[in-house]
Formats: sequence, C-alpha cells, structure tokens
Amino acid sequence: MIKPENQISIPTQVPVGPKFSIPLRFRDRRRLTILLTIIVLTYLTIITLPTMVPNQFKLGAALMSFAENIKIMFLQPHLANTTFVALLAALGQSILLAFLTTLIGSMLAFFFALASTRRLAPTWLVLGIQSVMAVIRAIPTVLWVLIYSVVFGLGANAAVIGITFHSVAYLTKVYADSMDELSPEIIETMQAMGLKKSAIIRQAVIPYMIPSYLSWTFIRFEINFADAIAVGAAAGAGGIGYQLFMSSSFYFNFHEVGVMVYLILAFALVLEIISYRLRTLTHQ
Amino acid sequence: MLTVNHLAKSYDGEKKSLTDVSFSIRPGEVTVIIGPSGAGKTTILRSINQLIRDDDGEILFDDTNMRDLNRAQLRRARCRIGMIFQNYNLIEPLTAIENVLHGCLGTKSNLTGIFSIYSNQEKEEALKLLQKVGLEDFAYQQCRNLSGGQKQRVGIARALMQHPKIILCDEPIASLDPRSTITVMDILRDLAINDGISVLINLHQVDIARNYADHVIGINNGQVVFDDRIAALSDTAIARIYQKDANLEGSAIHEF
Repeated sequence: MIKPENQISIPTQVPVGPKFSIPLRFRDRRRLTILLTIIVLTYLTIITLPTMVPNQFKLGAALMSFAENIKIMFLQPHLANTTFVALLAALGQSILLAFLTTLIGSMLAFFFALASTRRLAPTWLVLGIQSVMAVIRAIPTVLWVLIYSVVFGLGANAAVIGITFHSVAYLTKVYADSMDELSPEIIETMQAMGLKKSAIIRQAVIPYMIPSYLSWTFIRFEINFADAIAVGAAAGAGGIGYQLFMSSSFYFNFHEVGVMVYLILAFALVLEIISYRLRTLTHQ
Repeated sequence: MLTVNHLAKSYDGEKKSLTDVSFSIRPGEVTVIIGPSGAGKTTILRSINQLIRDDDGEILFDDTNMRDLNRAQLRRARCRIGMIFQNYNLIEPLTAIENVLHGCLGTKSNLTGIFSIYSNQEKEEALKLLQKVGLEDFAYQQCRNLSGGQKQRVGIARALMQHPKIILCDEPIASLDPRSTITVMDILRDLAINDGISVLINLHQVDIARNYADHVIGINNGQVVFDDRIAALSDTAIARIYQKDANLEGSAIHEF
C-alpha cells in the first residue's frame, strides 16, 4: 500500500526570481526542508570528520601504503599458492553456484508470482505471499546462508539453499510486478472467450512477460554471482570467494588477490555484454 | 435467440447504472445500441456474457439464463459468444494466426492451451478466417506491428474462430480512422447476412448506425428509450436518446 503524501499547500506561493523572468517552479516548504537537511548534514560531516582520525594517524603514510597495496594488487598480479587452472575451476564453481540458484529460484518464483499477482489470484493470497516474501527479502542473502548452515553445516548445501531462498523471494516480487502490469482487459478478453486459467496464463500472461522475465532473471544471476563469491568467503562454500579469502586473510598475498579480482572483473564484463545482447534481442 | 429481461445493475449500490433494461435480438441481424457516454451501453454488453455480474433480471441466451450458470457452465456458454473490443485486446507479442487460434481454445483441454496444440484443420480454418478479413498476408506478423484496423480485423477473425452465435462489439470503431471503420463495419454486416450471426454493436456514431443497423436500441441514463427498426429512427427519436439526463424523469420515456 502506498501512503498518500502529506497535503502540500501550493496555490498561495509566490514565484521567486526577478519579475521579468518566468520561474519554472514555486518555492514550496518541501524543497526548503530538503535544502536545510542537506546543509545541516554537510555541516555535521565537516565538523565530525577530524574527530574520526585516531591520534597516531599519519595521513600521508596511510595514503602511501594504500597506494602501495593497490599497486601490488592491480599492477603486479601473479600467483604463488595456487595455479591459474585451479583458480579458473574455482571461478567455474562460483558461476555454477550462481547458475544453479538462479535456475531453481526462477522456476519456483514463477509459480509463486502466478499465485501473487493481482491479475490472477485472490487478494488474501496476494497479500499473504507478498508479505512472506518481503520478510525473506529483508534479510540479506549471506545471513540466510549462515542460518541454513546451522542445519546443513558450513558448505555448499547451505549456500545453494540460502541463495535460492533469497532469489525466490526477490524474483517472486519482480515477476509478480511485471504480471501486474498486464492490462486487466486482456485477461477479461480471454475469459470472455471461455478460456481456462491455464490457457490464459500460457497464451496471454507468459507472452507479455517473457522480456521482463529474461532481464530480471539475468539481473538476479549477476546478484547471485556476487553473493556466491561473498558466501564462498563467509560460509566456506568454495569457489573463487574461498580462494579470495585464503589469499587475503590467510596468506596475505595481495599479488594473488589481484589475479582473482581481474578474473572476476573479466567475468562481470562478459555478463554485462550478454545482458546487453539479451536486451536488444527481446526489445526489438 | 438473445432476450434480456428487466436487467438492472448498480456499481456502488446506490446510483443505478441500469434500470429495468429489456430487449431481444434476432439471428442474422445487426442490432446497434446507441446512447450518450455513460448511459450504460458497455454495462449491457458486458452483462450479456457476464463479464459484469448484474444485480437483477435475466439474460436468456438460447433459452438458458446466463445468470443461473455456474462457473464451468458459464465458461462453456462464453465459448459461443464472440466479443470484440475498442482496444482490440489482442496478445500483441504473438502472431495474428496465434491470436485467431485462441478463439478455439475455450472448448479444448488444459494441455491444448498450455502447449499450443492445434490440429491442421484448425490452423487451416484460422488461415481461412484471416483470408476472410483480408489479412492472409499478415498471418505470421506479430500483432504489435499491425495497424489499428488490421488489429480489429484479427479480433473479428478470433471471434469467428469461436463459431459464435452472437458477436458482441464494444465500440469496435471508436479508435479507427474512417476507412478502417468502413472495412470493419462491412465485415460485421456481412457476418450477419451471410453467416446468420447476430451482431450486437455499441456505437457513438448515429450516421454509422443508420448505414449498417437493422435494429436500433437507444439507451439513456440506464433505460431503454428507443427499440425499433432502423427506419423508425427519426430525428426526434435521436434527440430523445441523446437528451440530457436531467430532463429524463417523468418525460415521454415511459411510453416505451
């Protein structure tokens, strides 16, 4: 439910600026409030910033060592404790983890979305499913993985189920939203021809939602890839995230971290290209 | 064939949208409902196939009261009632022939609908219907690429695929240019004459009604104020159909 905004009194406002120029807006209270808030926040930030710096802190030295670490990571990447093939395999594991969770998640979410779109389902079911999904979405993916690792133990099982869980909630919401955009007249038309619900879903709802289904599923795949890396580090689910965790926290080898970061960036670039192609393909 | 008796409908429980509407239509005729905006034309049309559940009255279609049917029976009854719309309401990402084939899904099983299984006979019929409305070259075009007039003709072909006894047309030409209007209205009249289908059309345009209707029903403020052959539609009758609501109470209306 969207709450109506508070009533803003507009009519009595006087245009600002020189009389000969025509103003584009009235100056109302809301704009003034926003401006004041920004000014206050800026002031607070500036006066508190120095207090955050510890006593022994030397800005110059800290900046130098930051630059040094960046240089090691990005300009001198090389491997020490692992092989490139092993890293590629780990990257593959992370990709497969993301793929598997997106696949299962999108299939489950499709049916949940059908049951929670206002176009097809009764209101109580819509509200019920949507609120459960909202609660699931409110808890971050990594936390779900940790919660499931209580049951399954740290590792791949908890990762798959935890990421899938959050994916279902996320995709149910966006699929249902895109189904809601379908005009009720279309459904009515199909009903007027005596079509059964299954036929209406297959012949009217799905054709309209294919483009958004594809693009949302792909976005979720990107999110799941990032989560798979984080989960690999946080919950020992393996993959490139685990390798990243080992090099950075166990071996303190930033040269190796650099290689992995480049690998992940390369794959992110590939994903970006694919999603661009997908978009041009579905929006002819 | 279709008789509507004492149909009444109110959307908010207070203001009557329809009060005591009765009329009947005959097979093989074009019946046109005219009246000012908001008079209840669309409500009448949608009550016939129960897209709007009416409050009172009876709608006899082939001697069964549409209001008494349960969900499954209503679905079966709807299969024989074609309907075309002002906004065409086609499935735009699909091709023209796919849209036409939707017309025959009502009578078929769940699996047919889910997997789009159509027999060659049905596909041939769909192509023939597209030919009938002059769109055989556009059968494999996505409907979103068609013009308004073409979309409406696909809509007619889709309704014909239902083998309807009656076709309900809700402002079928309101979004069309004059040439497409004539094409669409010609097709609708031919259906009544050649195929014996009853055609019931909601219209704004009195001149179009004069050219195409056999029978005219005038609606004002939710009541039938004119119900006669087209020849009897005089200028005074039109004035009465389109007069302001305020003058309606206690005026000559009750003669009908």
